[in-house]
Amino acid sequence: MDAAMEDAGSEWDRGSGGADAVLGLAGAGASLSVCYHEAFGPHADLILLEAADDLLPDLLQGRVTVRGRPEEEAVLCTPSATYAMKFVGTSNSMFLIPPGEAVAASLRPDHTNEDATVASDAAASIIKVAPGSIELVRTAPRLDKLRSLLRERPYVLDEDLGDGSEDKKGLYTWQDLCVLVQSSDSELLEGLNSLSAVEIDGFWRTVDVGSVNTVLDMILHNSVLHDWLLNALPENGVLSVMESDGFIHKIVTHCLSRFGTKVEQEGGSCWRLDERLVCLQFARRALSTGKMKLNSFMDKWERSIPSGMRPDLQMLEGEVLYERLGAETWVHAFSVADLPFPAERFAALFRERPRWEWKDLQPFIRDLRVPGASSEGLLIKYARRTQPSADADPIFTAR
Amino acid sequence: MQIQVRCGCGEGGGPAACPEWAVVEVQGVLQPQPCFSGRIQGLHIGRLCSTSSAPSSKGGYTFTVGYHELAGSKVTLKKPLLVLRKKKNDKGNPGELGQGGQAAAAAEVELEVIGIIRHKILFKDRPKALISKPVPKEKKAMPEAATPSTVPPAS
Repeated sequence: MDAAMEDAGSEWDRGSGGADAVLGLAGAGASLSVCYHEAFGPHADLILLEAADDLLPDLLQGRVTVRGRPEEEAVLCTPSATYAMKFVGTSNSMFLIPPGEAVAASLRPDHTNEDATVASDAAASIIKVAPGSIELVRTAPRLDKLRSLLRERPYVLDEDLGDGSEDKKGLYTWQDLCVLVQSSDSELLEGLNSLSAVEIDGFWRTVDVGSVNTVLDMILHNSVLHDWLLNALPENGVLSVMESDGFIHKIVTHCLSRFGTKVEQEGGSCWRLDERLVCLQFARRALSTGKMKLNSFMDKWERSIPSGMRPDLQMLEGEVLYERLGAETWVHAFSVADLPFPAERFAALFRERPRWEWKDLQPFIRDLRVPGASSEGLLIKYARRTQPSADADPIFTAR
Repeated sequence: MQIQVRCGCGEGGGPAACPEWAVVEVQGVLQPQPCFSGRIQGLHIGRLCSTSSAPSSKGGYTFTVGYHELAGSKVTLKKPLLVLRKKKNDKGNPGELGQGGQAAAAAEVELEVIGIIRHKILFKDRPKALISKPVPKEKKAMPEAATPSTVPPAS
């Protein structure tokens, strides 16, 4: 029956289901016959989607897509939000009646004589019994995949001089990402920003750390050479000097925006470098070789940063971890930006360290935003809290 | 993969223009008498009857199936249901498709909004037997129908 009915599937489409008559049925005694449609069948291509009224405009005006690979659980994306799609079955029989005027019931010949009133009047026709509907639940975009895609092939400075081959492996356009990442457009854009990604030649790329350091160094060198103030780098000047040194425009503005903010002034646009961001970059660089004693790290860090800037350990919150080994404090890089998004975050944290004090843990979970759960809620879900005594700091361990 | 959700009626008219479908919902399942098994298309099921005089109010309904009568009411859904239809763009037949975007083939699939459901006529009580009218009809009601219902007759 299934196959036969699927083929006849378009026949019922002509607006004669009788929904209008069913919904309009009113007045004591008014009645309507209900029958199975001539094209009644499983109609697996018909799906019910439950959508709150505020989602309807997006859904009805073509601004919604379903994203995900066949092996992933599908999500529904509006321009700004991501929803998990959950099929909810029902044990009731939900008879679906298509729109349109009811037509005269067409009983099969062997029954036409049984009930004259039924045979002669209009009937609403059931096209399908719906097994349930799809509910939408707001969910966090699946951005871990974005991170791993963009890490396949970070931009490096030299590649501009490279072989110019057509190999696009590991390069993703916006369209590619929309297809591959389960996220709404605006959440995807936010994700790209938080990964400090930049669109170069149509591909969204992260930038190799060494290249970022080189560009930052060159900007700082030039600021000394040209007597530019670090809180007012003239955009035109920086760009023309850097471009004459062979750095592409896009990558220079990317680094300026990564370490500073643009200020519009009368004489043209200026960039104000952010002391914390610049110092942090030098701290990461100092720690890139591995764990260091705190004293030697401070020495190295202070010597490396541009004059006029003052390092402060507070700048490193969420970027490093301290360990006491005997009398010495050691420090190593551990950046919240490298940690996975919600699901895996706590696992990664407890791999790093089985026990966390609240003040250490907080910088690494405060960016977690999951619809319907606070970071405290997530903490309760994924971690066990113990407090040795009433006035002691709470300790968090894995569940 | 990305599946576009489209709506033919959305462009000008907005939600109001989307054709409204109706749902009649009953507990359990309808069982055709064995002689109809496998071929129930076009079969008469029963009679839906309005019992309240004021139109558009939360009216009462009865649904008479065989010699069972169900009493129910029109319910406005808290969240509307959209009727989506899965379409393959390569002009092929809409073949057997799974749920939730698991199209077997890699062909371009699209979801078309073909209707909206805002109300259903819900019969959530067990059927009442119409003992005085022992007319053999085409159908029997729910499996639970064997148990006489405790629901008072609809007035």
